[in-house]
Amino acid sequence: MGENVIRAARYPFLPEARDFVSKHIDLSLDSLDRAGSEAILKRAVERVKDALILKEVRVTPQHESNYVREILSFPIAIILVSAIGNEYIRRIYSLGESRGAYKRMLMESDETLLFIGEKIGVKGILDEENSIRIKIPTYLNLAYVFHEYRWKLVNRIVDKGYVLLSRKEYARLIQIEINNYVYEKTLESLPSVIMPQSFKDAVNTIIETWSSIEASKPDYKPSGEKGENPPCINKILKRLEAGENTSHFERLAIATFMITKGRDIEEIVELFSRQPDYKYSVTKYQVEHLAGLRGGGKRYSVPSCRTMLANGLCYPDEYCKGVKHPLKYGVKNAGVEHTVS
Amino acid sequence: MVLRMLESNIRFLKREFFKYYYENIDKLVPPSPIEQREFGFFIEKGKGMLRHKCFRNLEEFHKFVLNETPLDIYVSAARYEDPGNRDMQEKKLISAELFFDIDAEPDFKEGEESAWACPNCGAYDLGVVETCPACRSSVENVETVNEDQLNKALRETDKLIKILINDFGIEESNISVFFSGNRGYHVHVDQEEFVYLTAEGRREIVDYLLIQGLEENRLIEALRKKTVNDSSLKGVVWRVYRMVLESSLDKPRATRNRKVLKQSINQAIEELRVRIDPVVTIDMHRLMRMPNSINSNSGMVKKKVGLKDLTSFNPLTEAIAIRDGEVVVKVKAFPRFKLCGKTFGPFKEEEVELPIYAAIYIICKGMGEYVGG
Repeated sequence: MGENVIRAARYPFLPEARDFVSKHIDLSLDSLDRAGSEAILKRAVERVKDALILKEVRVTPQHESNYVREILSFPIAIILVSAIGNEYIRRIYSLGESRGAYKRMLMESDETLLFIGEKIGVKGILDEENSIRIKIPTYLNLAYVFHEYRWKLVNRIVDKGYVLLSRKEYARLIQIEINNYVYEKTLESLPSVIMPQSFKDAVNTIIETWSSIEASKPDYKPSGEKGENPPCINKILKRLEAGENTSHFERLAIATFMITKGRDIEEIVELFSRQPDYKYSVTKYQVEHLAGLRGGGKRYSVPSCRTMLANGLCYPDEYCKGVKHPLKYGVKNAGVEHTVS
Repeated sequence: MVLRMLESNIRFLKREFFKYYYENIDKLVPPSPIEQREFGFFIEKGKGMLRHKCFRNLEEFHKFVLNETPLDIYVSAARYEDPGNRDMQEKKLISAELFFDIDAEPDFKEGEESAWACPNCGAYDLGVVETCPACRSSVENVETVNEDQLNKALRETDKLIKILINDFGIEESNISVFFSGNRGYHVHVDQEEFVYLTAEGRREIVDYLLIQGLEENRLIEALRKKTVNDSSLKGVVWRVYRMVLESSLDKPRATRNRKVLKQSINQAIEELRVRIDPVVTIDMHRLMRMPNSINSNSGMVKKKVGLKDLTSFNPLTEAIAIRDGEVVVKVKAFPRFKLCGKTFGPFKEEEVELPIYAAIYIICKGMGEYVGG
């Protein structure tokens, strides 16, 4: 028992944590309103706050030793996040849980790392020389979110249906899957019971924390209307228009997005013309480089929603729900063209 | 097809296609399960495709084919919950076979090996021109295909299959190779896990085969230092690496010069890449030509080729749909071509009696009129 419950507390998204919950605890909202559950609720709120403030849910040995509270706080945190129904909080919470888990996984033995991978659906096989093999389809369905070239299948060691990974890379892929899992969980609809007052209070605490973080950010109000571009891109466009100094990453995101949308290079360069450090020739060179017209001829891809989120650039509206890449905004439900071969 | 087809031609083709389907209906078996597939048909030339069709069972499908005698038959690579739904999203994709298309490169030779027609004014002749001498609009070339071109496409197909097996771990029994019925080859892969790949995952497969997005700088560094010399390093990037090293064995200085190295890398990529059509593989909703159905661009059949028979397969003989009989056609202009081991043409404004498959070929290319027989 000992080992397993600690592991379940450290990685509460594992099936063994779910089993623990269903075996030992009556997880109805009613029963959780009783005395003694206060601590669990408090810890659940802390999980979400960690995600909002630090973008990482911390789990200390002290947390782990109180494993019942720790394990239970995870499904409760999910319920709180679903109840809030805010796309940004959903995303940042899943990011926070997966980032925390990633850091913890790096410290684990090979055996535990492989155990977690297998249980979450990213089965790996230990290879000689400390590398890990995973099946190509598993790899592709996760690794496409990274936009660095080293993650492209064409640059990997590939053999007999498997891709070779370092331990760290393997943990990164598991992190993506954890992120997906937690996010999907927060999209599930809640049981239709009246929420106890203690939960409503918890929800309010989270919303307050979020609002105070939001207040420190430049104005962000989802417009409620679906624009041509996703809100994250519109946001950067507005900042460029206002001549506000944008970060390197914001510039990369906007340039790659516009390149992929097939916009003219000159037109894209013009977008940066109000930047305090604007120099036509330098900007043009950089945009052409991103478009693959210079240097190694590599065309840079648009960062995924996760990467945008991790860089503090995600301002989702309701049309972002379920979308994992800025280019997929609005495409998700559009009619698909039909062709033959 | 270059020029618009006459009603009498359509009637003739439909009559012959019907004979083929009547005789071979048992061979017309769509990939399973039939009730999860979407079908598409061209019933008449020049009219849109009839699509979003679905059938509950094989019998229903066969009945439809024999009643309508379609000119072309397509089936989805995807399995859907509701294949008949007209809204692509509402079809609810379950999975989709991996599908590759390799076409023969066009090769328009001067003189009697080529012909053209003008879709604007209807002019035509043997040879190669870019614009119509009569009306100055751009012409379309008559796309015949010869054994050399098809053999090249077959070599690409062979390269693809080796990578599918050795790199991707696809079981031989899950790979089906087909002659497309006209100018190239189709490869279908139906292997658990791969059929659930997203469009993004399929794009990675495509980049791997076309060797796109290679980390060139890292490769150049490795080649300069020659630190990696391990034959166990598998995958296409290491094949490029080894090929460059081997090509520079006799010129030891070559691996130090960045520019020379870049050239050698590009040469190796040209040699090692598989020339698939990327769009086809990425598009999960694609309709593929139905195996054993007739391709109305040629009158030949989309025919399965066993992996063992890949080198000995001769599509221009073995994919003939209708063999027996002779008919008379009035040919506008048609280059020399070879079918069933016999050479025909070139023809120009003449009425000729031809074996039925050769006549069908010319008519399907829009360059002849059925006269009788």
